[in-house]
Amino acid sequence: MSHAIRKEALRALVGSWLAEGKRVAGPVAVGPGRVLYQPLVSPERLLLDGFIRTVNSIKAFVFPRHEELYAYRFRGRQVELIDAPLPEEEQIVIGARPCDAAALPVLDHVFRWGTPDRSYERRRELTTVVTLACREYDDHCFCTSLDSGPRDERGSDVLLVEIDEETYEVVWLTSKGKDLFVRHTERADRKGTIGTGPKRKFDAAALERFLAENFESPVWETFALRCLGCGACAYDCPTCHCFDIVDEGDRHGGMRVRNWDSCQFALFTLHASGHNPRTAQAQRIRQRIYHKFRIYPDKFGDTLCTGCGNCSRGCPVHLGIRPVLEAISALERKPQSAPPKTP
Amino acid sequence: MSQNNGFDPKIIAYVCNWCTYLGADLAGTNRLEYPASVRIIRLPCTGRIDFHLIVKAFESGADAVLVSGCHPGDCHYTAGNFHARRRWTLFRALLDVLGIEMDRIHFTWISAAEGRKWQEVVTEITEKTKALGPYRAYRRICEGGA
Amino acid sequence: MIEALRELARRLLAEERVRVVIGYGQSSPQGPVHPLFITRAEDAEQLVWNRQCFSNLTAYLTRKDVRALGPAAVVVKGCDERTITVLEKEAQLERERVFVVGMVCEGMGDPGLPKCQVCDRHRPRLADETLGEAVDREVPALERYAALEAFLARPAEQRMAYWQEELARCVKCYACRQVCPLCYCERCIVDKNRPAVIDTSATLKGNFAWHITRAFHLAGRCVACGECARVCPVGIDLTLLNQSLARAAEEAYGFRAGEDPRVEPLVGSWSPQDREDFIR
Repeated sequence: MSHAIRKEALRALVGSWLAEGKRVAGPVAVGPGRVLYQPLVSPERLLLDGFIRTVNSIKAFVFPRHEELYAYRFRGRQVELIDAPLPEEEQIVIGARPCDAAALPVLDHVFRWGTPDRSYERRRELTTVVTLACREYDDHCFCTSLDSGPRDERGSDVLLVEIDEETYEVVWLTSKGKDLFVRHTERADRKGTIGTGPKRKFDAAALERFLAENFESPVWETFALRCLGCGACAYDCPTCHCFDIVDEGDRHGGMRVRNWDSCQFALFTLHASGHNPRTAQAQRIRQRIYHKFRIYPDKFGDTLCTGCGNCSRGCPVHLGIRPVLEAISALERKPQSAPPKTP
Repeated sequence: MSQNNGFDPKIIAYVCNWCTYLGADLAGTNRLEYPASVRIIRLPCTGRIDFHLIVKAFESGADAVLVSGCHPGDCHYTAGNFHARRRWTLFRALLDVLGIEMDRIHFTWISAAEGRKWQEVVTEITEKTKALGPYRAYRRICEGGA
Repeated sequence: MIEALRELARRLLAEERVRVVIGYGQSSPQGPVHPLFITRAEDAEQLVWNRQCFSNLTAYLTRKDVRALGPAAVVVKGCDERTITVLEKEAQLERERVFVVGMVCEGMGDPGLPKCQVCDRHRPRLADETLGEAVDREVPALERYAALEAFLARPAEQRMAYWQEELARCVKCYACRQVCPLCYCERCIVDKNRPAVIDTSATLKGNFAWHITRAFHLAGRCVACGECARVCPVGIDLTLLNQSLARAAEEAYGFRAGEDPRVEPLVGSWSPQDREDFIR
């Protein structure tokens, strides 16, 4: 026995959430072949199939690209500080991909480490994630290479698994998720089935061995010439979480804000002294790989990548994590050969 | 001043130090009255009037912007106003495609001797802007958040 | 054409006329085409040429790490080669250090990109060597700016509403800037913080300021390769902004960026006869 919901009923349920004034976000088509997680204004715009993945990730709903930390105002020689209000609204993310949802517990490590991040904590509590297991994959997907897969339950409150063209199986994983669906499902005698996911694209164990010994390696140069140094990979990534804190204001006062930042920007590591420890793109690419596959796992025991492949999908020159890891994998298989000379 | 529900437009005027600024000064010494809605910002030359300043004015809540400098051929630095003229021609096209209200951006040449023209221009722009009302569209952009 | 291209690359590298050939490669026959850097003659066979060669490779000519390799050959389409003219005029490259390989192009994408459908430069004119055969056709400005015209036919409030919706999606990944061959500044104005001219926040305010800046810093320079719009992850059609400036330049000054190597850059030169019907 399992719980199920018809697709039409699901859409109606989303409509009722919206009617109750809840904030609901989900995949929305914004242009030909381009789907983004966006706040929903009507259930009709919600897109549940016909695409592989959204361009962006759901991290924006717990870690927004721009966040006000506090305001400051100059009063004569005094400075008055005004706390930004913490978020209060509940939000539901529907149609998340497992590789998006799985990123949330990974992000928790860093945002709950030491001094917990209050607004992140609050948003995390206020957010319910309804994930849709994947039936389709593309060349960029590599979740299965990282011990994840098309029905990874991590980070989700509810998992929807397609039973047939009209129905989803509803698997609630938390009480928050159950509360949303409990009176809206029907009983079903079938369970949703899902394939095994994309084929494995590289060997994670080999990668670990490689990173242990190859901080200095010509492989980092392999893609450096091609990389343009934009932040598309990091901003489309569900796990990248670097930020920059800046003051924006004038002589009367202003706002201290936190904005997304990316290690692929040349100025990311620029010191106030003018010194920049990472002067070449090769070092920045290496940093991104090391942070995800060695530094973060060493510190928190979790890989900072869920294999969604968004970094490649969004890359203007078709780079991203997977091509780099594939190249490393190839090297590991043939330890004697030199890395490809021409990127 | 009480028409239009007492709306007192905020107009930022970027003016050249060598001509319009003195023209405005002349209007003052000649006791020519003009609306107090204009905030004058003096710059060394129209060639120095970066387009960011126009954007900044709207970001800061201006309802209209006036940019004014020396008549062609009169530039203190020979060609600053010629350079500026080209830039504005192009910049206006960009603002237009963005849907910025073009009735809120004004360009004039006012010499040091043209106190009366300054009075006329400021009076006219003020009236026009009053008729348009506050520039709410750009304010909404600035309050729009992320 | 592809064999001729590989042969040329092989020759240029073997004869040491260049140290690197910047061309297009493909990791698999179905895979996406990406920029490729060939430094050894024997690797020239990796070069490809097909309807997926979107990138404007001239963006790499001004990059420090590419320059460090030595003299370069670059594969260009008719649209891309205009950038070389602009870069040269702006003293960003020594033309003799670059070997320009022109590819006759029937359009990129299938169906062709909008820019390709109104292309009047199928055949590069300024290349050191041009491969392929094609005849250019004249395309009247009316046709080239048709999309812009249609957009401008909407009332100003609607245009503003459109940009508010579009620019709200911008996350400031700066792919538009990084991919642009003419955004070569070592430190972009948006990255300057003493003083900060533009909000770095990806708020609507910061996004308007950024996109006005990006477009206007390319006024009279943008060659309409359209890379900024193509690579935008969130699909903002930046070509409308670029086109507005390009059309103004063409209408007011009969100027098209990169078209004529003898003409001075538009912004930076002037004429007493420039029109000024908007100035009182």
